[in-house]
Amino acid sequence: MEKVLITGVAGGLGRLVARLLHGHYEVTGVDSTRWRHSLPGVSTHTVDLRKRKFEDVVRTERPTAVIHLGFIRHFRGDASLRHDVNVGGTRSLIDHCVKYGVERLVVLSSGYVYGAFPENPYLLDEESPLSASRSYPEIRDLVEVDSLASATIWRHPELITSVLRPVNALGPTIDSMVRGYLGLSRVPTVLGFDPMMAFIHEADLATAISLALAQRLRGVYNVVGPGEVPVHTAITQTGGTAWPIPDPIAGWLFERLFRWSLLPYPAGLLDFLKFPVCLAGERFEKATGFRCQYGLAEIFESVRR
Amino acid sequence: MIDPTAAADDESKSRSSGARANARRRRREPGGMRRGSRAPTGLWGTLLDLAGAFEPMAFRRLGEEIDTCIDRIPAELNEYGYDRYGFDSETFRRAALPVALLYRRYFRVETYDIDRVPPGRVMLVCNHAGQLPFDGMMLAMAMLLEAKPPRIARPMAEYWVSRLPWISTLAARMGSLVGTRENCIQMLEAGECVMVFPEGVRGMNKLYSRRYQLQRFGLGFLRLALSTQTPIVPVSLIGSEEQQPGLLNLEAIGRLLGAPALPVTPTFPWLGPLGLLPLPVKYRIYFGEPLRFEGDASDEDAVIQRQVDVVRQSIEGMFERGLRERAGVFR
Repeated sequence: MEKVLITGVAGGLGRLVARLLHGHYEVTGVDSTRWRHSLPGVSTHTVDLRKRKFEDVVRTERPTAVIHLGFIRHFRGDASLRHDVNVGGTRSLIDHCVKYGVERLVVLSSGYVYGAFPENPYLLDEESPLSASRSYPEIRDLVEVDSLASATIWRHPELITSVLRPVNALGPTIDSMVRGYLGLSRVPTVLGFDPMMAFIHEADLATAISLALAQRLRGVYNVVGPGEVPVHTAITQTGGTAWPIPDPIAGWLFERLFRWSLLPYPAGLLDFLKFPVCLAGERFEKATGFRCQYGLAEIFESVRR
Repeated sequence: MIDPTAAADDESKSRSSGARANARRRRREPGGMRRGSRAPTGLWGTLLDLAGAFEPMAFRRLGEEIDTCIDRIPAELNEYGYDRYGFDSETFRRAALPVALLYRRYFRVETYDIDRVPPGRVMLVCNHAGQLPFDGMMLAMAMLLEAKPPRIARPMAEYWVSRLPWISTLAARMGSLVGTRENCIQMLEAGECVMVFPEGVRGMNKLYSRRYQLQRFGLGFLRLALSTQTPIVPVSLIGSEEQQPGLLNLEAIGRLLGAPALPVTPTFPWLGPLGLLPLPVKYRIYFGEPLRFEGDASDEDAVIQRQVDVVRQSIEGMFERGLRERAGVFR
């Protein structure tokens, strides 16, 4: 049986992917925090991706495939630590993969790398520029991770690398950024704006990751779920109450609240509440035959408070 | 004789209208899907009920007609009634009634050969005049009320629209997208019907003395049609050119105010906002034979210009016919 190493295995998506692959692959997990209820037969290591101990894990375990999900995706902690863990961790992971002859690598990037700009094409395909770093310094690390992984595709052709850029993932298990946002007691929105927002169920995202692994996918792919709804519909459908703030005040308020650690969302993300970010997912669907199983209503029901 | 396509059409209609009615119910009923009722209660609710009772029968019939047309639009809507570009059947329904009243009662629009619009991707290329875009609204309404099946004629919005609160949302709910090249290509490739006004502001704010004289056409639309293999249907709007006769265009002052033009008409700006009301001209909309062009989209301007001239000539030809056939500006 092939051996797969999953980074960030103790996170929501990591656990889902581990369960999905369990039985088909020999699964090894790595995370900076301990996975308490690990699956039988899954060996897990509590290490930091940037540390030397992680290299030991790769050397002794000798996985043939790696799924990289070990990122800090929230803004609750130190911004420079987030950047360092995400970018530094990815860099050392790729180095070890190359050094120890890993055959396949799947990296979970994000649909946020394209940024939210009104002049963007409505449906963003994989060739669209990664403009997020242009005006959102807080999520620059996402773009850097994506670029590192994409460069690996041609820099190390012997390592079959696929970079997945999913839309907002929602589900009972995972703790995604959008889940936290929709779970706020009063969900801030921008007055007069109601852009379309795309969603995918966590189980479908886990399936997409396993498909990319199983089909030896090489390249960059958007992963798109059942569709899009306006932000306010998503808020009401998950049982929340929208709290529209006029645009100029919203920017000022978000900046202050974020600086005082009262709100875990930087002001740059406000643009994602003003302009639609919708991805074209045909390339991935064509390459893998991926079809999502969960509809929009089921996705919202699964995280309804 | 039994027409099998008609039967199939009917079936698909009823299926899609069922799905749409479900979406409507889902969004209205708080029960399963939504917390908190959205039906107005108290004094406001009573007033609304009263207003409903006084609603003239003709209005209600028109509302029902719009409803059936919207239900028959062959668009893919999700379980909440939106398409992926943000078009919303429910908002569209509400906004369509006042426009439909203008269409039927004020401009008394007549359409000719609307069945020439082919199914699938198509560009409606038409003349632009009359200071305010009533021509676009009437054309969109014609595509909704008269076309079989009804279609959303998509306008492409200006850049700055997407930065305006409410207006950006409304534009999206009406089925419009920011007017970039990529967006237009995506719309056409998705089989949509896109409205194009190649004269742009040049036509919109031209003077009364230049009525029914097409201004310079942009070339971009034809390049898009070539690269996406989209048929072009030339459309002539008769009437819009007289709705607000432009006497002068104080462009320089308009630019200072941040507008592309500042037209002076017999009523504007003298009567204030009331002066924006167009004259009750009679609208006639002529649809030409679909034109299919072949060639390289990145060809030089002179080559594209020749093809654009074919479209222009077709529109001008229908001008002649329309002006010959009408008895007067208001009849």
